[in-house]
Amino acid sequence: MIVDVHAHWGPWFFTMDVAELNLATMDRYGIGVSIVSATEAVIYDASAGNRALDGWLATTERHYGYVTVNPRRLAEAERDLDEYLPKGRFVGVKIHTDYTGSPVTSPQLREALALVASRGVPALVHTWGASVLDLAQAVMDTPGLRAIAGHMGADGHRYAVEAARSCDRLWLEPCYSHAPAGRIAQVVAGVDPERLLFGTDSTLIDPASAFGAVAAAGLSPGVAELIAWRNAVQLFGLDITA
Amino acid sequence: MTAFDARGLIGELTVTLDVDVLVGAYADRDGPPGDPSSVLAVLGENRIGVGAVASLRAALFDLRSGNDEVLALPGVVPVGALDLRDPIGSVREMERLAARGVRAVRLFPDEQGVEAGFPSVRHVARRAAALGLVVLTGGDVRRFWQPFSGLEAKVVFLDTHFYHLGDFLVVAADEPGFHTSTRLLNSPDALETVPADRLLYGSRTPHYEPLVPLLRLATSGLKPEEITAVAGGNARRLLG
Repeated sequence: MIVDVHAHWGPWFFTMDVAELNLATMDRYGIGVSIVSATEAVIYDASAGNRALDGWLATTERHYGYVTVNPRRLAEAERDLDEYLPKGRFVGVKIHTDYTGSPVTSPQLREALALVASRGVPALVHTWGASVLDLAQAVMDTPGLRAIAGHMGADGHRYAVEAARSCDRLWLEPCYSHAPAGRIAQVVAGVDPERLLFGTDSTLIDPASAFGAVAAAGLSPGVAELIAWRNAVQLFGLDITA
Repeated sequence: MTAFDARGLIGELTVTLDVDVLVGAYADRDGPPGDPSSVLAVLGENRIGVGAVASLRAALFDLRSGNDEVLALPGVVPVGALDLRDPIGSVREMERLAARGVRAVRLFPDEQGVEAGFPSVRHVARRAAALGLVVLTGGDVRRFWQPFSGLEAKVVFLDTHFYHLGDFLVVAADEPGFHTSTRLLNSPDALETVPADRLLYGSRTPHYEPLVPLLRLATSGLKPEEITAVAGGNARRLLG
């Protein structure tokens, strides 16, 4: 069984038609549960997207939600967190640094992370390149915060290793549309396996990308089980057993 | 067996010709040494029968000695690397390779710091088309389509990312010789959107994981005969 901690629900603006999550695709890769953010919330209007996702989550049993926070709209974010987190189907917060023009080093991102920490849920934060090191520093500066480095820095996975080793409240998630040889194996070799998660970026990216990259790493059964679901269940407090 | 076992998903799929394989190493990055024996071993481990192989030595340092290394490799389809920093020498090398029966040349614009609008690219594109050579090219398809347009050129864009799929589709509609590698077409419906006769499996072994495009192809919505074509039939039609 696999828990996908980085997935989406909703349409994309690229040449693609994947608005509907495909349970057959999840089944193909053994993904039992996905934690999704609304694409509308990530790309354009956080509150509208969160509201739409809230409605959709009521129709599915295999998905949990992220409340998406736009660091430039913190009053809205606070209202959304108050409304959706108590329902139990939203288990974390998603923050995209690029779409919101909020680098990890920006004051508004720091404020957003403090807000998330106050609610006690993990934050999935988009990271690229060396920004994963900035995220590690921000987590260390924010008491109680637990964060996931989305894409684990993408082409900056070596920075992700350094980041995770420097901060014990930072988890790594691997999805990336490129698959440089040895990327997953290098991270697994350098990081406590209890801080590694699995994510796909579905429905933007087919799960074949992350699944294939992890498969190519030839993980031991114990490490594979931690990455596949055990670490996610513990981090998000999910009521799931394999 | 773990939750991340891909073998069952790939099944019996084999790649008969991978259009994107390199030997040699990049001096500016960590990575595999790229010696031919290790590269061929990776192909074998991933059920890839034959690679269309080009030389990084040729692309980055010396055309003739690098390409001669590839020409000497047994059991591969040799691809001549060109250097867009030297269009005069590249045309000379193309003519030498064509005389030796090479069917394809490869361009490395990113590695060589060459933009699509540079005169060298159009010059090499024209000469390759005139010689009937297939061009395998890196670079952003949104820009690198242009120097090949109107030449009846046969081109395989090796770096087409699914973000730019729409751009590839609209230029390919006007250019019957335009094809794309599958390597970065890993959105849920990209492979199913491109006409199957324009798709070629490409892995960039040993610098990328060949398992990822293999798995995407194996689990695609393409018909079995289309998968066979993408896994090497189309490449054979182009490269022989």
